[in-house]
Amino acid sequence: MAAYRMKQEHLARFIMVLLIILVLASPAMGKMLWRLQNSATLEIHARLPESGGWSLNTITVRSGQPLTLRFTSEDVVHGFAIGKLNLPEIEILPGEFIETTLTFSNPGKYTFYCTRWCGPNHWRMRGVINVIGMSPTPTPEPPPLYLALGIDLDAPHRAESIPRRAADPQHGSGLQNHLPSYALEQDTYLSNSPASLWMRLRAESSLRPLSDDDLWDLVAWIWEQHASAQEIAIGQKLYAQNCAACHGESGKGDGVMIRDLPPPTAEDHVTSHEERTRPPDWSDPHQLLGASPALLAGKIIRGGMGTGMPYWGPIFTSEQIDALVTYLYRFAWNGAPNASTHP
Amino acid sequence: MKYIPVMVQRLASSRRSVYLIFISAAAIILGIPVPPPAISATERYIRVEASMYRFSPEQIFVSPGERVTIELVATDVKHGLYLDDYGLSLEAEPGQPARETFVATRPGVYRLRCSVPCGNLHPFMLGKLQIGPNLALLRGSLLGAMAIIIALFPRSAPQMSRQKHFPNGTD
Amino acid sequence: MAPIELTRFSQIYSLLHSRWPQFILRALILAGFMFTILSGLWGSQVGSHNFATIFVWIAWWSALKLFFIPIGGRTWCSICPLPLLGEWLQNRGILRSRDAQCLHGKSWPRAWRNAWIPVVSFLLVGWFGVIILTSPRTTAFVLLGLFVLATLLGLIYERRAFCRYICPVGGFSGLYTRLAPPAIRVSNTTLCTIHIEKTCYNVCPWGQYPLALKTSGNCGLCMECLRACPYQNISLSLRPWGIELSSPPKMRVDEVFLALVMLTTAGVDAAIFLGPWGALKSATYTVGSPGWWIFATAFLLLVLGIVPAFYALTTWIAQRIRKGGLSPKSSFTYYGPILLPLGLMAWIAFTLAFASTKLSYLLPVLSDPLGWGWNLLGLTNHISTGQTPLLSSALQTLILAGGAMIATKTARELSRSLYESIPCSYSLLHLPG
Repeated sequence: MAAYRMKQEHLARFIMVLLIILVLASPAMGKMLWRLQNSATLEIHARLPESGGWSLNTITVRSGQPLTLRFTSEDVVHGFAIGKLNLPEIEILPGEFIETTLTFSNPGKYTFYCTRWCGPNHWRMRGVINVIGMSPTPTPEPPPLYLALGIDLDAPHRAESIPRRAADPQHGSGLQNHLPSYALEQDTYLSNSPASLWMRLRAESSLRPLSDDDLWDLVAWIWEQHASAQEIAIGQKLYAQNCAACHGESGKGDGVMIRDLPPPTAEDHVTSHEERTRPPDWSDPHQLLGASPALLAGKIIRGGMGTGMPYWGPIFTSEQIDALVTYLYRFAWNGAPNASTHP
Repeated sequence: MKYIPVMVQRLASSRRSVYLIFISAAAIILGIPVPPPAISATERYIRVEASMYRFSPEQIFVSPGERVTIELVATDVKHGLYLDDYGLSLEAEPGQPARETFVATRPGVYRLRCSVPCGNLHPFMLGKLQIGPNLALLRGSLLGAMAIIIALFPRSAPQMSRQKHFPNGTD
Repeated sequence: MAPIELTRFSQIYSLLHSRWPQFILRALILAGFMFTILSGLWGSQVGSHNFATIFVWIAWWSALKLFFIPIGGRTWCSICPLPLLGEWLQNRGILRSRDAQCLHGKSWPRAWRNAWIPVVSFLLVGWFGVIILTSPRTTAFVLLGLFVLATLLGLIYERRAFCRYICPVGGFSGLYTRLAPPAIRVSNTTLCTIHIEKTCYNVCPWGQYPLALKTSGNCGLCMECLRACPYQNISLSLRPWGIELSSPPKMRVDEVFLALVMLTTAGVDAAIFLGPWGALKSATYTVGSPGWWIFATAFLLLVLGIVPAFYALTTWIAQRIRKGGLSPKSSFTYYGPILLPLGLMAWIAFTLAFASTKLSYLLPVLSDPLGWGWNLLGLTNHISTGQTPLLSSALQTLILAGGAMIATKTARELSRSLYESIPCSYSLLHLPG
């Protein structure tokens, strides 16, 4: 009897130990099996920037070799995209996994970044993919125009004169025959702010008969010539995704991320390094009419200015930046172009 | 008037009739149709800000029949808004608000839920939208009150007679 | 309604008498428990994609409140993994009961033989509940901590000291089990009087003597007595639901306090988890922040101050109206049983609302228990938002109304029997009857 009970006891102990070993070993086994099958896959965890951002910030891969990335988020919704490459972005949901395979044909340094707003430090979620290997050296990108022109991005650029009423490009279009030829050149547009072009035109003796308002209508018309509907659409989308959280949907500098900061000082936010302020209110035409496209593009590319403005140079293509700049001017010409979309 | 309590007690003295009263009263409380509230065909615009883990305003009150436009503004990370029963579903990211309009045809109390995972408390990120008066709460409270009254009724006849003899023994 | 004696059926009797069915269940649950801890520590820290948080707080915690306690009483205690290792070490074997060779620990200090520790642990659950509920790691640490504590106490003290005097869930189950049908009783009391060894008492891990069992509150339904009785004189029967309320056993101050704390916690949890108040949610989540301190203080004040004071005042006035002549303390404990149906129904209603929208979390977590992106069952691991089914709201209302009704009835009975408990006064009452 005792021997029988001892046997039963041993059986029970054996079952218990076996079950616990089984249960504790199975996750480890599963993980090992998965590793063996997917040894080339890199797992990247996305976390809020405050909790560490990307779990992997630098990835090195040979050109031409497929790179399999497996993403998951540990907290909120994040996104993954690679700067300057026109690839669809990947949405990364907490607790869910998503895989993508990339193949880079050209060596170089690529920046990957988070595409979903995940707090005020969202833009800090960036990493680098170093693609190494031999291939014909690509033609280097031309340096941004603001460098060539020697524009000081941090200097105040408040427009001295602004239109007294909303400029009417339709009316300006009727006056285009009066314009000197340089006014329609691409370089003139890029290197002049609307206010400085207006001053230049005002100084033209041939345009003396035209009123100040007529000249503003002309400048507005010129700016419209450089903004295709397609560009505006691209710019609007980029602005909504990347800028509006701080600069505000209507460009007033009241975006949800920074609305608790003090308003910008009269000097423009450039000089105050002590305290972060809100971005300028672009519905005030003094702000944008004093900035040339080259200057705005420079600010987007370099960022900084002692503010929380991120640098978008490694992320946006020059076409995207041009589109964004054309879209920005609409805040100045129309006051607040988005304000009317409220129902 | 004096006889009414006696009659009620008589009625209550039989168990079956107590149940009968109970069930019919419950049916009345739960089923009685309330005249539909005055329909106001006005437009309403409600801006709802979503942050981890709250909607602001937390509670929204609208009148039946109103055309309600809800604008969802996310202030920290991507959030969603799902309105129970109406099936209204919005997703917004900071800088990219979302809007949708619905007509508040069915009165009642509905929950707003965040529909985009936004952290560990996401499953409990809730709001409330009330269309018209909160009839469910009223009916529920009445039912509760009735349950208490029923429980206070004496159970059987002999105890009744005791109480007649000792009027200070009120329940 | 007479109780149904389950052990009359020989199959059920032998099923309960054999140690194997219980052991297999316990072994599986203990293994699952170990897995839960591992999952909480090692798996994804996204609460909704981790087995630990979802299975403990949605599956188990809901099942406990909707099924185990209201229907099965302390059936969960009979298979609970927490004290198993301690008990096995105590008994020096898995399939053995307490006997002469077992480890004879100290007896639990007299000063702590009450419900005050569960009261405190329930307060802690109220304070840190939101973190525990949503963080897999914290869940795992809590489970591990309880397991280690239960094992250590099993080695130091005799019998199930942890279950009876420490475990918050035990405190919870112990109270509401009084309403549940299962009950261990002695079939033939005269047999017990001639049986002087009292083996049933000696083997009982809970330190109960079946002959003296008036309430099921402290019986863990482990069936050790049934196995030990040489006369097959122990029976398991199903009583009508809530029968203990008709002749309620006296409750102590600590037990009434526990009942009050649990009733209040049900309300507070409903406000936190089901209410629209975002500031409350944030405050409870950010432990240590000023908001959390305000919440913690308010919670303490409500649970230990306002609610007990209101209850004490009401019960005192109630017995004054009936000229019961009880002291405030006596009326406090005398009306205690009212809190049992009230609290249990409040918890059931809360759990129904809580669980009905969160059931969609269960299957994805079974398919990917550690949140590593596995797909064992071939399901999508995306969780739908869900909404409150209409039926659950209606059911909640009915359950709350039912709770109020039973509580009122209990209060009525208690008020009536005030006369009986006080000799001489109103003895005339009995004459007509």
